[in-house]
Amino acid sequence: MQYVLLQAVFLPLLLSPVAYVLARKYGPNSATWFTFGLLLYCTTIMIAPVFSGTYEEHFPWTKLFGEFGFLLDGLASPFAIIIYVLSTVLALYSKPYMVRKITEQFEERMHKQNQLIADGQSTAMIESSGLKGYVNNQIGIYFALFLVFAMGMLGTVLATNLIEFYVFFEVMLIPGFFLIALYGYGARRRIALLFFFWTHVGAVVLLLGFLAIGLNVGSFDFSAIKEHGIPPNILTFAAIAIILGLGVKLAAFIFHIWLPYAHAEAPTPISALLSPAMIGIGGYGLFRLLVMLLPGQYEHFALFLNLWGLVTIFYGGIMALMQDDIKRLFAYSSISQMGYLIFGIGSSSALGLSGAEMMYVSHGLGKGLLFMMAGAIILQVGTRSMTKLGGLAGKMPITAVCAMIGALTIMGVPPTSGFMGEWTLFYGALQTALQQGSTIRMITFGLGLVSTVLTMAYILWMIKRVFFGKLPENLSNTKEASWYITAPMMVLAGFSIVVGIYPDIFFKQIIPFMNGVMGV
Amino acid sequence: MATEFFGLPLEAGAMNVWAIWILPFFAALIIPGVAKFSKRGTDGVAVAFALMSAISASTLLPAALQGHEIHDQIPWISSIGIKAGILGDPLAILMANVVGWISFLIMVYSTGYMKGDKDITRFWFWMMFFVGSMQLIVLSDNFLQLFFGWEGVGLASYALIGFWYLDKKKDHVGTEGHTALGISQYYSPTHAGIKAFIMTKVGDVMMLAGMFLIFAFAGTFGFRELTHDTAWATSMASQNLLIPAAVLLFGGAIGKSAQFPLNEWLLEAMTGPTSVSALIHAATMVKAGVFLVARLGPLFFALAAIGINMDQFFEVIAWVGAITAFLLATQGMVSPEIKKVLAYSTGSQIGYMMMALGIAGLSRQFVDGYTAGFFHLISHAMFKASLFMAAGSLLHVVGSRFMTDMGGLRQHMRKTYAFMWAAGLALMGAPFITTGFWSKDAIFAAVYESGNVWALPIFSLALVTAIITAFYTTRMIGMVFFGNKSKHIEKMEKEGHHIHEASASMWVPYGILAVLTIGIGIIGLTAEHGIHRLFTEYLANSFGIQSHVETVSTQSESILGGFLSGVNPVALMASLTAFAVGFGLGYIFYIGRFVDPVKFVNSNLFFYAIHKFFLNRWYLNSIIYWCFVVAPLYFARGTWRYFESIVIDGLNRGPEKAIAVGARIVQGTQTGISQSYLYVFGAGILLILLLLFI
Repeated sequence: MQYVLLQAVFLPLLLSPVAYVLARKYGPNSATWFTFGLLLYCTTIMIAPVFSGTYEEHFPWTKLFGEFGFLLDGLASPFAIIIYVLSTVLALYSKPYMVRKITEQFEERMHKQNQLIADGQSTAMIESSGLKGYVNNQIGIYFALFLVFAMGMLGTVLATNLIEFYVFFEVMLIPGFFLIALYGYGARRRIALLFFFWTHVGAVVLLLGFLAIGLNVGSFDFSAIKEHGIPPNILTFAAIAIILGLGVKLAAFIFHIWLPYAHAEAPTPISALLSPAMIGIGGYGLFRLLVMLLPGQYEHFALFLNLWGLVTIFYGGIMALMQDDIKRLFAYSSISQMGYLIFGIGSSSALGLSGAEMMYVSHGLGKGLLFMMAGAIILQVGTRSMTKLGGLAGKMPITAVCAMIGALTIMGVPPTSGFMGEWTLFYGALQTALQQGSTIRMITFGLGLVSTVLTMAYILWMIKRVFFGKLPENLSNTKEASWYITAPMMVLAGFSIVVGIYPDIFFKQIIPFMNGVMGV
Repeated sequence: MATEFFGLPLEAGAMNVWAIWILPFFAALIIPGVAKFSKRGTDGVAVAFALMSAISASTLLPAALQGHEIHDQIPWISSIGIKAGILGDPLAILMANVVGWISFLIMVYSTGYMKGDKDITRFWFWMMFFVGSMQLIVLSDNFLQLFFGWEGVGLASYALIGFWYLDKKKDHVGTEGHTALGISQYYSPTHAGIKAFIMTKVGDVMMLAGMFLIFAFAGTFGFRELTHDTAWATSMASQNLLIPAAVLLFGGAIGKSAQFPLNEWLLEAMTGPTSVSALIHAATMVKAGVFLVARLGPLFFALAAIGINMDQFFEVIAWVGAITAFLLATQGMVSPEIKKVLAYSTGSQIGYMMMALGIAGLSRQFVDGYTAGFFHLISHAMFKASLFMAAGSLLHVVGSRFMTDMGGLRQHMRKTYAFMWAAGLALMGAPFITTGFWSKDAIFAAVYESGNVWALPIFSLALVTAIITAFYTTRMIGMVFFGNKSKHIEKMEKEGHHIHEASASMWVPYGILAVLTIGIGIIGLTAEHGIHRLFTEYLANSFGIQSHVETVSTQSESILGGFLSGVNPVALMASLTAFAVGFGLGYIFYIGRFVDPVKFVNSNLFFYAIHKFFLNRWYLNSIIYWCFVVAPLYFARGTWRYFESIVIDGLNRGPEKAIAVGARIVQGTQTGISQSYLYVFGAGILLILLLLFI
C-alpha cells in the first residue's frame, strides 16, 4: 500500500469537518463511531509496515525547508502505535463522558441565563430542544478537534525534518488549547492559556535551536544534518535549546508549572491523551534531536539529564502524595514518570534508552488506564476528591480491576509492561555506572530504584482511598460505567499484560535500533 | 529423550514441570469465567487444578530422588537473548511437592472456610495466582523469570491480605486503641495489604539491584549458566562487588521471608482470611525467601573452589536468621491474638531456616546445614499449615481472634484439640515423635558442629529461642483449650450459639497434616538421612560441593547408639532441655494454671516492663513508621506548602502579571484620538525617510 503514513497523518485532519457535520446532523453516536472507525483504520494501516522494518515516505516540499517525509523506524513506531491506539480507544470513551460534560455545561449556561432573565419565566421548553442541538454542535467540535490533536501528535513523531517537526509540534498545541478552553473544568480558559503559553515558550526555544541548526547546516532534514554535521560553534546552544524546549513539554522539574493544572482540569479523555501520549513526545524529541543528531553533546549532558530525571521522579512522587484530587494526583504522577523517561535517556546506554522508550509505552498504557478510571469515577460518582470516595471496588469491579492493572503498570510490577520498561532502564543505568566507574551514577542508579517504592506508595494509597475502605453512604447506589468506558479500559489493560509477558512486541523494534544508535 | 510440543523440543518430564506452575495460573484465568455460570463451580475448579498441579509435581519425584535434573528453555526476550525456562532439579522438585500438596489441602480447607463469601471468585483467583507464582519461583531457571513469580506472590499477598477491603472492624488486627510511641498498632486489612506490598518491595528493590549487578558481569540470568562459567564471579570479586551483590540478593529474601529488619509486615498480614495466612506461612510467600537462599547458597558456596571467600555473605544470613528467630519468638509470648502468635512463630521459625542455611556456608560440611534448613522448611510447612487451619476453625467457631475470648474449648472441639496438640508439639519440638524435633535438632547440630567462630553465640540464641517457642506454643494451647470458658463464649452460648466442631472439609486437611507431622516424625531420622543423602549427591553433581563424610559421625557414634546413632549428643541434650523448660513453664502458667500469668507479670516492674516491650514489638514497628511514613509525609507537606504552592506557582503569576502590566501600557497608547495617531504616523514616516537617506 502506498502513502500509508500520509493517510494515517492527514486523513484525520482532512476528515475532521466530517465528524463535525455528522454530529450536527445525526448526533453524537455517529460522530463517535466515525472518529473511532477512522482512527482504527489509520492505526491498522500504520501498524502493518512496522513489522517489516524501517519504513519511509518522502514528498517534495519547499526548497528552503527540504523534504517533507515520514519515517517509521524502531524509535518512532512504539510512539506512533501508542499515540494512535490511545486515540482510537479514547474516541469511544469520549462519547458518554463528553455528552455528560457538555450537558452539564449547557445546564450551567441555562442557569446563568435564567439568573439574567430574572423574571422567573420558565425556560424548560427552550431548554429541552436547545440541549440536543447544543450537544450535537459541541460534540462535533470536540471530535473535530480530537482528530486534529491526534494527528498532530502522530505527525511529530513521524517527522523527518526540523521544520516539519516544529509544525506538527505546534499543530497539536492548538486543538489542545481549545479542548481545554471549551470543555475543561474550573478556570478553564485561564488554564488553557497557561498550558498554551508555557508549552509555546518551550516550542519557541526549540525553534530557536532548530533555526540555528538549519541555517548553519543549510538543511533542515534530519538525514542531511546527520550527514553534514553541525558546526561546533552552535552545538552547545542547539543542545541547550533542545533540552530546555523539550523539558517544558516533558514537564521536568521546575518546568512542570503548567502540567498539574492542564492535566487536572482538561476533560478526562483529553487528560488521558495529554498525559500518556503528548508530554512523552518531549522524550521522543530528546531521542531524535539530542541523542541522534547531537551525539557528542548528548554524552556531555547525559549525566545532567540523569540527575534532572531523578529529581523529577522524586519531586513528582512527593507532590503526588499530597493530592486529594485524583486527576491532580495523576498529573503529578505523570511528572514523576517523565522523570523516569529523562533518567533513562540520561543513562547513555543502549538498554537504558530502550527502557526509557518502553517507559513511554507502559506509561501510555498505565496512565491512560488510570485517567480513564478517574473519568469513570467522575461520571458515575461525580467527584474527584478522594476524601469523598472509598469502597468502590465492589460497585465498579471492572473499573477497579482495570485501574489496578494500570496501577501495576505504573508501579512496574510484572507481569505488566511497566516492569519491562523499568528493569531495562535501571539496568542500563547500572551498566553505564559500572563502565564509567562513576560513583555518582551508581548513586543515581540506587536512588532510582528506591524511587519505585515511592511510586508504589502514592499509587497504592490512591487505590486504597478510591476503591477500598468504608463505602460512603451516598455512594451506595453507584453503578458500573457503561461499555463505552469499560471496553476501552479492558483493551489497554490486556495490552499492558501482553506486552509485559512478551515484551518482544516492542523490544524487537527498539533494542536493535538503540544498539545501532549507541554503536553497541 | 526429546519430544516435540507445538514445535518446541521438550525434554522428558519437562511438560510436567511446566504444568506445575502453568496449571494454577490457567485456573486463575478461567475462574472468573466459570463464576459466570456457577459460583460453586469455582470451588471445584480451584481444588481440581491445585490437585493436578500437585500430582504433576509428584510424578517427577521418583526421578528427582534419583538425582535427575530437568532443564528446559524456550525463547523469550530474544532481542536481549533472554530465555524462559524451567529447572527441575531435586531441590526444586522437592519444594514443588511441598508447595503443591500443602496448597491443595489449603484449597480443600478453603471450600469450607470461605463458604458463602460473596467475593469467592476473587478469592479463588488470587489463591490460584498465589500458588502459580510460588511454583514459578521454585521452578524458574533464571532470575528474571523468578522475579515474575517473586512479584506475583507479593501482589497476591497484597490482594489477599486486603481481601476484606471494606475495612470492617472485625477484620482488623491488633487491639483497638493500642499505640506505641504514638503509632497506632491497630490495622485495617487494606492498610496491612499496602504495608506488606511496600515492605516486601523494599526487599525486591535490593534484589533487583543484586540481579542487575550479576547480570552486568555474567550477561545471563540463568542459574545453571552462572554455575557453569564462574568468570563473572572472579571479575566481580576483584572489584569487591560480589559480596554486596549477594547480600543485596539476600535483601529480597529478607523482605519476602519477613526477616529482621523487614519483619513487621508479617503480623499485619493476619487481616486476610485464615486460609490465606496458612498459604502465606506454610507454602508460599515467606518460604520463597528461604527457597531463594537455598537456590543461591550452593551457587555462592561453590565459588570457594575458585578461591572466592563468601563467608561474609553467609554470616549475614546466619545472623539475620538468628536475630529474627529470637526477636519474633519473644513477641510471640505476649500476643493476645491467636493468629498473631502463629505469625510471630512463623517469622521465628523461618529465622531458624535462614540460620541453618547461613551456617551451612560457614562450616566445612555445607550439606549438613543445608539439609537441616530444608528439612525444617518441610516440617514447618506441615505443622504450621495445620496450626493455621486449626486456628481458622477456632476463629470460625468463636468469632473472635483473641485467645482471651476462647478457653475451655477442649470438650467442644475434640478433633481440633487433638490435631492442634500434634502440630503444636511439632512446633515445640517434642522429642522423638515429631518432625519439628528432628529438624530443629538437625539445625542445632549443624550450628554446633560448624566450628565457626560465631557458632556458640548463634547456638545459644537458637537454644533460648527454642525454649521460648515451646513456651508460647503451650501458652496458646492452654489459653484456647484449657481453663474456664471465657465470658465471650458464655455469652455466645446464652444467645443460643452452639459451640461445635468445624465441618469435615475443614478439619480433614489439618488432620491429615497433623497426623503426617507425627507419622513422619516417628521416622524423622530416616527421613532426614534420606534428604541428606539426596542433597549430598545433588550438591556434588550440580555444584561440585563435596562433603567430608567421615569427620562428622565418628565422635557422635561412639556416644549414642541404637536408633540415635549419628545424632549429635550436645544438640540432642539442647533440644530436650529446651522442650522440657519451655513446656514446663507453659504448663505451670496456662495448663495447670498454678500461677496467674497476668498477676505474675504485674507483680514486678521488671516483668511488666519486659512484657510491655515485647507487646509493643520492641518498638521496631513504631520506629519504622516514624522514619518511613510520618517523617516523609511531613517533608512532603512542607515541600507542597512552601515550595510548590509558593515558588512554583509564583512562576505562573510572574509572567501573568508582567503580561497584564504590559497590556496596560500598550492599552495606554491606544487613545482613540485620531490626531495623536496622525502625529505618530508622521513621525514614523520621517524616521524611515531619515533612515533611507542617511
